[in-house]
Order: sequence, then structure tokens, then C-alpha cells
Amino acid sequence: MNHDDIKSNVLTTTIERAINWGRKNSLWPMPFGTACCGIEFMAVLAARTDISRFGAEAIRFSPRQSDLLIVAGRISIKMMPVLIRIYEQMPEPKWVISMGACASTGGVFDTYSVIQGIDNFIPVDVYIPGCPPRPEGVVESLMKLQNLVDKEKLSDYALSSSK
Amino acid sequence: MTRVTEQQLETDRMILNFGPHHPSTHGTLRIIMELEGETVTKATPEIGYLHSGFEKLGEDLDFNQYITITDRMNYLSPLCNNVAYALAAEKLMELEVSKRTEYIRVLMCELSRIADHVLNVGMLAVDLGAMTAFLYGFRVRENIYDLFEIATGTRLTTSYTLVGGLMRDIPEGFDKAVLKVLDEVDEVANDIETLLNKNRIWQNRTKNIGIISKENAISYGISGPMARASGIDWDIRVNEPYSSYEDFDFDVAIALNGDVFDRYLVRMEEVRQSIKICKQSLDKMPTGDVSIDPDLGFNLPPKDEVYNSIEGLIYHFEVTMPNRGMTPPVGEAYVPTESPNGELAFYIISDGNRTPYRVRTRPPSLINYSIFSKLIEGHMLSDAPAIIGSINVIAGELDR
Amino acid sequence: MSLEKTLSQIKGSFSDYVLGLTEYAGEQIIHIKGQGVIDVLKTFKDAGFNFLADLTAIDNLTLGGFERFAVVYHLLSHGSAERVTIKAYVPEDNPVLPSIELLWKTADWQEREVFDLFGIEFEGHPNLTRIMNPDDYEGHPLRKDYPRLGRKERYDFPVIDRGIQKQKRTE
Repeated sequence: MNHDDIKSNVLTTTIERAINWGRKNSLWPMPFGTACCGIEFMAVLAARTDISRFGAEAIRFSPRQSDLLIVAGRISIKMMPVLIRIYEQMPEPKWVISMGACASTGGVFDTYSVIQGIDNFIPVDVYIPGCPPRPEGVVESLMKLQNLVDKEKLSDYALSSSK
Repeated sequence: MTRVTEQQLETDRMILNFGPHHPSTHGTLRIIMELEGETVTKATPEIGYLHSGFEKLGEDLDFNQYITITDRMNYLSPLCNNVAYALAAEKLMELEVSKRTEYIRVLMCELSRIADHVLNVGMLAVDLGAMTAFLYGFRVRENIYDLFEIATGTRLTTSYTLVGGLMRDIPEGFDKAVLKVLDEVDEVANDIETLLNKNRIWQNRTKNIGIISKENAISYGISGPMARASGIDWDIRVNEPYSSYEDFDFDVAIALNGDVFDRYLVRMEEVRQSIKICKQSLDKMPTGDVSIDPDLGFNLPPKDEVYNSIEGLIYHFEVTMPNRGMTPPVGEAYVPTESPNGELAFYIISDGNRTPYRVRTRPPSLINYSIFSKLIEGHMLSDAPAIIGSINVIAGELDR
Repeated sequence: MSLEKTLSQIKGSFSDYVLGLTEYAGEQIIHIKGQGVIDVLKTFKDAGFNFLADLTAIDNLTLGGFERFAVVYHLLSHGSAERVTIKAYVPEDNPVLPSIELLWKTADWQEREVFDLFGIEFEGHPNLTRIMNPDDYEGHPLRKDYPRLGRKERYDFPVIDRGIQKQKRTE
């Protein structure tokens, strides 16, 4: 199936709305916390700012059972193959949030062993700036991701056509 | 008919990878374990998954800029790292700071120590199944974050000290806020101890696990609460005092068995002693200035002088512009301090330029972690999270 | 034994290893040749300096000094609360010196780190492999002639192809 086969009509748009509503209100995150942003992410899960009011409380440390990968912290060259392997193990539909300055661009660490932004190698949906970002910033990014999920169509998940 | 257990069964050792991404290794640690049934016969830790080149960065950033990088080393208690670096730089340049600066640094270090120990006990509890201690601990930690935000501007990566003083003085009313938070810390510490101390499951899972003897502790270079739980009576705040610690009156907690339960008890007792020190620091706080004379050419003047007077602007440019900068003498300095993990020290060598020649951190997490492979032998697989939690490994300091 | 007496004893008995004795900001530093490190440190350990606080190295390329590399040991005595710094010099073309892992077990990982970041080898070490960088890394990053930005290792990873084409939308 490629994009031309799925034309929009009232049946497909209603199904899309139902599926997107279900997906956006139950995003199950998998925290890939390496450094200081990992501690701020733990603060997001704790009682003062908690993301379980967005349906995202089921933190799964197994990639096969989650659909949101939150990369929090700097990624070094020894850790990058591990990140790629975990990203590939997650089943579709999946989204990636890159939390903090180090995961988005390398941050303060412009050295021989820190990857200057994971988006050079993995597709990223939402970036959160800050070093570390406040918990309110993480919640805002989750809401932005929910708006993005709301706009998805069925044709997005069709396989790209082979030549 | 013979029963299954009377026949000869083929057994082999299983190799298990406790991988770099795992919920109960706090941070990016990897351990390759050989198991015989449930018992661990050999464990090889592998580190370096967060190596970011801190020591190479230190050669390109000048003395005040590197303080922002030191926060990101031990990110559970960043103010202790800031104070340790500032002390080493001040010893190198032979500067004397004011008494008020020293008392405020002591107050901030002790608040960070409370935050670190409470989080460490919380994570140890979560790994062994007791989630409540983690949530109580995080409530206290959020209150301490509020205090840091009032004094320094941010919650976690504070960068509060400068060479020769502090970024800014503490505001009015800070002492009342601190006293209120200290009362809450006391209550939460009581709650956590009530939940855990006499709990039979906690005692079964932590007593006689991971015992470190006194000779092994000295040979492996262990310091901090881990060493004091094995009976070594060494606390740098008492034996080699720095930053006016000799003016304060507190006790040092020592335990004799050296197992996981003792390390937990030593940490909880240190939280209570830190509350005592914070209260004494607020009572006896001297008045004065928190920065030294900008004429010496080493520290940044206060911001309102920089914006409103020409001398302040000139002093600021003399220190920060790339073609100027401070000129330290040629030499080296090593100042040990007592961080919540153990002996944290910075070893700075300067060759007279505006950036240091070599900056080395003595990482307590790395040195304490090297005993792990000896401790886990003979224990079961489910004791591994208890032992790692009691060592308090922080990946940022381990790999730098 | 106090620090003064230990230093004068070492200057007397190991005078062919000792290169100098300096002092800065109240701390004593003793400079020795790399080959004599086991004898000198054993004397310190028997004199009461029972704790090895830190083990690191310096690359003296632009600073000057007796040789290019210096391995630095910081010792502490729990009995008398005194500290001393020992610098053992090794030349650039043969950076080898004996390992002190038999005296203090903490030297194990710290010597591996010095080997990884500087390239100095330790004879008699049980497992001298890289500890911070990946095993197939080339070069020794903390030497002064290694660039801070590295040699392109941080770009050397595959770009993931997802198999589906999602349209990039803004929120």
C-alpha cells in the first residue's frame, strides 16, 4: 500500500480521530536518562509535577512495551550504539523527545566523545531546551507532542513505496 | 523409578549482562556477571558510557567558566563541586575569602548533603521495592530545590561560587525559609526511619550484604559514608577542616559492621548532623562582603557595580575578555573536601595563563565503585541492586 | 613517622632516584624517576602514609619539566593528617613504569584510566585495557597534541532509516 491508496473520506477521518485520541492520551514513556536531565525527569515523575495526569505514568523500561523514547542527558560515543539498538527495538508507532541541551545539540560539551545532537542519527519529534529544563518545560513538550499526534493521518504509517 | 534430583544433571555457568540501560543501575553502568544458579561467581563492571571529556575541557575554559562545568559532575549535590573547585583555585592563587563567604558555603554544602543522602536512600528503597521512601524523599528534595532557586536562580546546575567569593549574596528572609525546610526534613527523616529501620524485609535484604572490612576499605581507597560504616574514623571536615568547619560543633557517625544496612544508617545520621550544622551557620552568620577586592585582578565585581560604574566595568573586562584574564602564579594545588560520596578534590596545575594547564577531579564514585566486583562474589543476583545503591555511584562523576 | 623525617630518609637511601624536592602553598612535592616508584612508595607506606588518595598523570609538553610525562601520586596519613605529592617522571619514547597495584588495590582502575587517556603503560598490572573510551578507539585523548574536538569519531554512526515516511508537521 502506498499513499495514493488511502484517500480521505468520512470513515477514515473518524477512525483517525479515534485512534489519535487514544494514542495521545496514553503515551507510555521510556526514559533513557543518562545524566543530570535524568534527575530532572525523575522530578517530573514525582509528586509535585506529575505526568500521570497526562496518561503517561506507566514508565516501562523495556523498549518493546513503550511508545515514547525520552532521551535525557548527554550521549557519548560508547553509548550511541546502545541508543540505536534500543530505538530499533521499539515497535511503531513511536516518538522521540530529546530533552535538554546535550541531547539536542551536544550542549556545553564540544569534545571528542559527546555526540553533537542525536538528531544526526535518529528522527526526533520534540526538542526541549534547557540545561536542565524545568519540569514544567517537560510537561509543555508532552502537550506539544500530544498536539502533533492529534494531526497524524493513516497514510503516514503506510510503507514507503519500493522502486 | 529414580527421582530427577538423583540423576546427574549437566550444569553450566550463565553469563548475564546487566546492561548499560537498566532501571536499577542508576545511570549508565554495565556489569557482566557469571551466575551459577542464582549465585554470582564473578562480576566484571564496565564503565565509560558517559565519558564526556571534562578534563580536556578544563584546559580551554578559564577559571570562572569551568565552575559551570563542575555542576554537571555530581549532579545530585552540585554545590559541593562548586565549592571544591573554588577552594582549589583559591589555594593556587593564595587568596583569602571573607568569613561570610565561608559560612554561606558551609550552609549550601550541608543542604546539598541532605538532598544527596535523601535521594540515595530513596533510590535504594525503590530498588528493593519500597516506593514510599522515594516519594517522601523527593518531596523534601523539591523543597530544597526551592531554596536553591531563591539563592542562586536555578534548581540543579547552580554555579554559585566564583574564585574569590560567591555569585551573589543570599537575600533577606532566606534564613526563615531555610529553618522551615529544615523542620520538614526532620519530619521526613523520622518518617523514613520509622518505615525502614525495624522492617523485617528491609533488614533481611540489607544486613550482612556487601561487607567491607577495614583493611579492604583503606586498600581500595574508600572514603566518605562507606568508609565510616566500616569503622574508619576519618571525616575531612573534622580532621583537615576547610572553609571554617572548625567553628561548627557536630558529631561524626561511625558504624562497625560495614554492610548495606550500616551505610544506610550512617547516611540517615549524617542528615541529622547536617541539620544541626545548618542551624548553627544561620545563627552565627557574620556580616560583610562576599567578594574580595577586585583590585587584585582575580574575581568578578558585583553586578550592580558593573552596570553602574566605570571602575566596575573595567574590572569586569580585565577578568573576562579573551586577550586579558587573570594571571595566576605558576604552581599546583590539591584541596580535599568532604562531599556526600567521599573525598572530592580538584588538582589544578597552572602555568601562568588565563586557563589552567591541567584540571583533575579526584572522583569518589569511581574509587568507591572499584570494590564492587569483590563485594558481590558469593551473593545472589538480587543483592546486586542493593549493593550498587549503597555505593551511591553517580555516572557523571564516574566517567567525567 | 612525620613527613620531614620520611623525606630526608628517602633522600638519603634512594638518592639515585630522587630528582628534586619542591614546595608550593604549604604542600611538599617530591620528584623521582619512574623506575623507583615501588621502592619510594613502599617506604612511605611503611612510614604511616597508608592511604593513596589519587593517581593521575600530567603531560609536560609545554610546561617543561624533567621528562614529558609525570605520574602523580597523592598520599595521606590517617595517623598524622599529613599529605604528600610524589611525581614520577617517564620519557616520551618509552613511557613504562611499574604498577603499584600490589601496594594499594585502588591503583587498579586509576592506572587503567591513565593508560587510556595518556598512553603510559604499567608493568605488572593485571588487566591493562581501556576503561573510558571504547575498546577500538585509537589515540590517547588527554595528550596535549590530541585535538579537543576529536578525529571524527563522533560522526561515525549509521543514520537510522525508519521504513515509513512521516510528514513533518508543526504543532
